[in-house]
Amino acid sequence: MAARAEFLERIRREVAKTPGLFGASTAPRPSDPAAGAEAIRRELAERWPEALERFRQEFERVAGVFHRVRDLDAVPDAIADIARERGIRSLVTWDPAVLGFDAAAALSGRGLSVIAARAGEEHEVGRRRHRADAAAAQLGVTGADLVLAETGTLILLSGAGRPRSTSLLPDVHVAVFGRDRLLENLEQVGVMLEALHVDPDRAMSGAMINFITGPSRTADIELTLTRGVHGPKEVHAIFVEAA
Amino acid sequence: MSEELLRTPFPERAGAALQDAFLQEALTIATTKFIDLRKEAFAGFPAGEALRDRARAIKEATLQHLDVHLERLADNVERLGGTVHWAATGEEAREIVLRLCRDRGVRMAVKSKSMATEEIDLNEALEHAGVTPVETDLGEYIIQLAHEKPSHIIAPAIHKTKGQVAELFSRELRGQFPADPEVLTGVARKALREKFLQADMGITGANFAVADTGTVVLVTNEGNGRMVTSLPRIHVALMGIEKVIPSMSDLVVFLAILARSATGQKLSSYTTLVRGPRRAGELEGPEEFHLILLDNGRARQIASTLREALYCLRCGACLNVCPVYRQIGGHAYGYTYPGPIGILLTAMLKGNRSVRELAHASSLCGACKDVCPVRIDIPRMLIELREHLDREKIAPWTERVVFRAFRRLLLSPTAFRLSARAGRLLQRPFVRQGRLRGLPLLFGRWTRTRDLPPVAARTFRERWKELR
Repeated sequence: MAARAEFLERIRREVAKTPGLFGASTAPRPSDPAAGAEAIRRELAERWPEALERFRQEFERVAGVFHRVRDLDAVPDAIADIARERGIRSLVTWDPAVLGFDAAAALSGRGLSVIAARAGEEHEVGRRRHRADAAAAQLGVTGADLVLAETGTLILLSGAGRPRSTSLLPDVHVAVFGRDRLLENLEQVGVMLEALHVDPDRAMSGAMINFITGPSRTADIELTLTRGVHGPKEVHAIFVEAA
Repeated sequence: MSEELLRTPFPERAGAALQDAFLQEALTIATTKFIDLRKEAFAGFPAGEALRDRARAIKEATLQHLDVHLERLADNVERLGGTVHWAATGEEAREIVLRLCRDRGVRMAVKSKSMATEEIDLNEALEHAGVTPVETDLGEYIIQLAHEKPSHIIAPAIHKTKGQVAELFSRELRGQFPADPEVLTGVARKALREKFLQADMGITGANFAVADTGTVVLVTNEGNGRMVTSLPRIHVALMGIEKVIPSMSDLVVFLAILARSATGQKLSSYTTLVRGPRRAGELEGPEEFHLILLDNGRARQIASTLREALYCLRCGACLNVCPVYRQIGGHAYGYTYPGPIGILLTAMLKGNRSVRELAHASSLCGACKDVCPVRIDIPRMLIELREHLDREKIAPWTERVVFRAFRRLLLSPTAFRLSARAGRLLQRPFVRQGRLRGLPLLFGRWTRTRDLPPVAARTFRERWKELR
């Protein structure tokens, strides 16, 4: 505590030498983030088709693969196709209760091994088993909590039944989302993030938010663009029309 | 940077870089590519200019109340179950990490790219204490295997060929690997995946920290930042105190311009927001989260000459456009932070004496200021820094004597008139094709690589007398 007090006192002394130096201000913040978020949702209820098209373009520009299906029942088929084309046999998914569909039930009969993370299994054995499953899986299925059109970005909140590694350790990541997740620009993301943090303990069950913009990439060897250096080599987004 | 390298004077270090044909080619290709990518990114982004102004204003306003924002950040991190450490110096920061390693039996730590940990030479300290630090950014991994230092803030291994990397991997990872970036990246993926799963501790820097929510933000392309914050049981984030920003609304302003400035991407592949250790319902994530707030010379600049250097986002854009960096690369600078901003950061962290020579490694052309996402006035600060070097008697006495004489001469009309006359006479043997070349003595150091216009046959004052 002494270190903290001393540390801050030193900064306070320096800061005191600067009053009036600058008239600068920080970014304007929504006065009522929840209402701001609600307003954005209302606007997007009209404009989502344009946002979706922009998302598709930007997502493909960052090497994402875009799919579109009619309803949640069609999602397992789309996932099975992605797996079959790549010779993939082992999948991990977020908790079906979070996703809104049960890929395991639909796909297990087709020669695919599907392991779903379950909320409520956070005991030591559950953790160890989950990590081994995630590390061995070739494809991971998640939802997307926000989908940013301007940059082709999927935004995922971690939490109960939503492991961080499902979108990270497997070679292929598939995210499934509906129209109500779409946002047009980063400014709207700012409002949403403010709204999430008004009462974060209720809004989020996890400690991490990931913005995912295309597959993992590097250009560290002679500036040659290479995909899948640590994270997924491919990212797929499945848009569900009736979700 | 090794003491040995720093014993060589800067002109020699720069000279060696200029003789290195491969380095010259690699630097030209890399910096030109980065310049083009950045230019394209902003050309298609009309809101960019206003966002740059806004970002700068946020940094200014935040520094104005830095104590308040840091307290808020610390309180929020602690409320979330994290631990906050206050490190006044690099040594204190190292000691904090080492103590954590000792107390918790850490044997291996995986790191995602962090200039702050480079700044405090953390890897050497960890190795010395028997902890294996593993750099996991591909460029940093290459550099670590080769026992070298990064040569660019965002592309640490641009000075290495794929052939050199293949040779290095074949030797260090026991195999026969071809000089193919894709294959080599795969080799690193496999080797590092094991480390991610085995390591006890993940060490990161922070691109931003949001005071309002207690969130540390990491921006990466490879995904290693996600690995080290999700898989090991302990996460330690080390950040300079100037990285704090007030709110999420501020964060999105910076996100919009950071990747565009660095690599020309709209956003980097991954932006990771970390709020303390894993929460009750989570299957994954660290049990412990530690945030180390590092001063190391920053606070004393809040109201001083180098204040603006505290706005820096570490995007590397000023390196790419700098005519000096483009010729000599990062290593010749000799310290953690290269390029024009690096000179200022080195002065900030290591004191003015350390930039006695580097303060002049700039043509003051202003290209750095033009591309800086937060419009840091680097040229102005370099000039002020040179002034300080003179006043603090750090500059060589010869330089100080010459400039003092020059100053006197310019301040007195008589002295100016007489010296112009003297100059006209004395310069005669050295004027060739209308330029001054090959001057003797001290002046020869200027004309060795450049020429000068000669003193005019009639000075302005002489002509003015007649014109009136």
